[in-house]
Amino acid sequence: MVDSLVLYARFSLVSDKVTIMNILQNIINENRVWYCLDCGKCSAVCPITRWEAREYTSPRLLVEKAITGRADEVLEDPLFWSCLTCKRCSEVCPSTVNFSEFLRAARGLARDDDHSGTCTHSGMIQSWGKMMTNPDMRQNRLGWLNDDLKVSKDSDTIYFVGCLPYYDTIFKNLGAEGVEIAQAAVKILNHLGIEPNVLADERCCGHDQLWEGDMDTFRILAELNLEQFKAAGAKRIVTTCPECARTLKVDYPQFVGDHGLEVVHITELLAETDLADGLHPAPPASHPAPHVSRVTYQDPCRLGRYMGVYDAPRELISGLGFELAEMEHNRSASLCCGTSCWTACGQVSKNIQVERLTEAKATGAEMLVTACVKCQIHFKCAQDDPAVGPEIDIEIRDLTTLIAENL
Amino acid sequence: MAPKIIVFTCNWNAYSGLESAGSEHLTYSPAIHPIRVTCLGQISPGIILKAFEKGADGVLLLGCPPGECHYEFGNRRAEEVFAEAKELLTLMGYRDEQLKLEWVAASDGDDFVEKVQQFVESVFHHKDTKLRN
Repeated sequence: MVDSLVLYARFSLVSDKVTIMNILQNIINENRVWYCLDCGKCSAVCPITRWEAREYTSPRLLVEKAITGRADEVLEDPLFWSCLTCKRCSEVCPSTVNFSEFLRAARGLARDDDHSGTCTHSGMIQSWGKMMTNPDMRQNRLGWLNDDLKVSKDSDTIYFVGCLPYYDTIFKNLGAEGVEIAQAAVKILNHLGIEPNVLADERCCGHDQLWEGDMDTFRILAELNLEQFKAAGAKRIVTTCPECARTLKVDYPQFVGDHGLEVVHITELLAETDLADGLHPAPPASHPAPHVSRVTYQDPCRLGRYMGVYDAPRELISGLGFELAEMEHNRSASLCCGTSCWTACGQVSKNIQVERLTEAKATGAEMLVTACVKCQIHFKCAQDDPAVGPEIDIEIRDLTTLIAENL
Repeated sequence: MAPKIIVFTCNWNAYSGLESAGSEHLTYSPAIHPIRVTCLGQISPGIILKAFEKGADGVLLLGCPPGECHYEFGNRRAEEVFAEAKELLTLMGYRDEQLKLEWVAASDGDDFVEKVQQFVESVFHHKDTKLRN
């Protein structure tokens, strides 16, 4: 990976086809793309391949275009920007071709050649990411804190809030949980005797910029965050967003700088406490959702396939006293929520979301629980469509807020 | 860098105000960069954020007075977009006066100049102090 980035930086001002192909070949080598056996298992599981109606596209076909030197076709393939990087393909690949990482590196190359995906929400989320690269920015992002929530600047644990206050603003019309998740996280940490540090000028973690190939913005955001982590003198970072967790834990050390901090998603932390062992089942009167007994769980891609955290959230759901019913596709075979990086949302995304919500309904569960705010936003957006009816109507909640209500 | 104010003007009222101001040889700040849109209801919070991302010091939205929208609901939609962008900018620490929504009646050059000049003055009121963002 590092090799191709060095090469990429060296030629970043050159855009002739030979150079692009050279760099692309390096990216191919590093991600084992040569090992593709042309078996098509990836195409069988790719959610985009299943629904893309404009032209046939699949991970296998994109790989074929790349290794046969058709760089132009690679960059123009519909999958190039719409791939969810959900990693489902790599899970079934017999040659462990690292398709998602290959695409991520290739997207960096494409951006340099003035290609980009179709933004969603009028590009506002990409814009605020870029605006946060201003080192002088002083945010007002802690308005969700209240007197009941205890935080401390001297804490060795940082609660990394992520974009929750921002999503709260733009997605409240969908009924999506936003700052409620942040409040719940601090409440739970307080319950465990932790008064976390929350940073007043935390930046977006840069996950979306990284996976969209916008390495420049990603690096600046990461550096600004790392400076603050260092200044705070923390030892551990807790997140409620799987994308933040993965980015801080894996991508910051790989691409920007090793911080030596422990990074955990809140479900990983809580699974080690007695909240997960069902010793404290909710009394009926204070049960987080008294009308619900059976729930199903959506594995977020970053938490599940990327970080291997499958059991922790399930233990916590059982600990709450719910019966957990698994969807047809679960754990490493789980279906993505249909959109990634606020890019390329459309009919394909909606179809994936409806498909997944239909699976959730088929379990007989009264509630779909997830551990990622983006999954919730995307599913609630699909439910907001007046053209779809009760077949996908199911309550959707974040695991963090459910647990907090039960304390 | 020269101060830069982006003014989104609705084609039907505010922009005709700008044209009147021009034909009447009225003077307004060179910081003003007007962008004509077919209807103010067409812009989105992302477009407003984009202006700030690219270095604008302020964004002024000039639409049609209530009840005078050429497309009936465009100015109501503009109010929603304004409110959403305002919330996001507040989170990011921008000052309140850096984004404003105003109405200008058709062909009213004087009103157009007054509104943009007031806006420029409010944005650069603390000229000596560095803009927050």
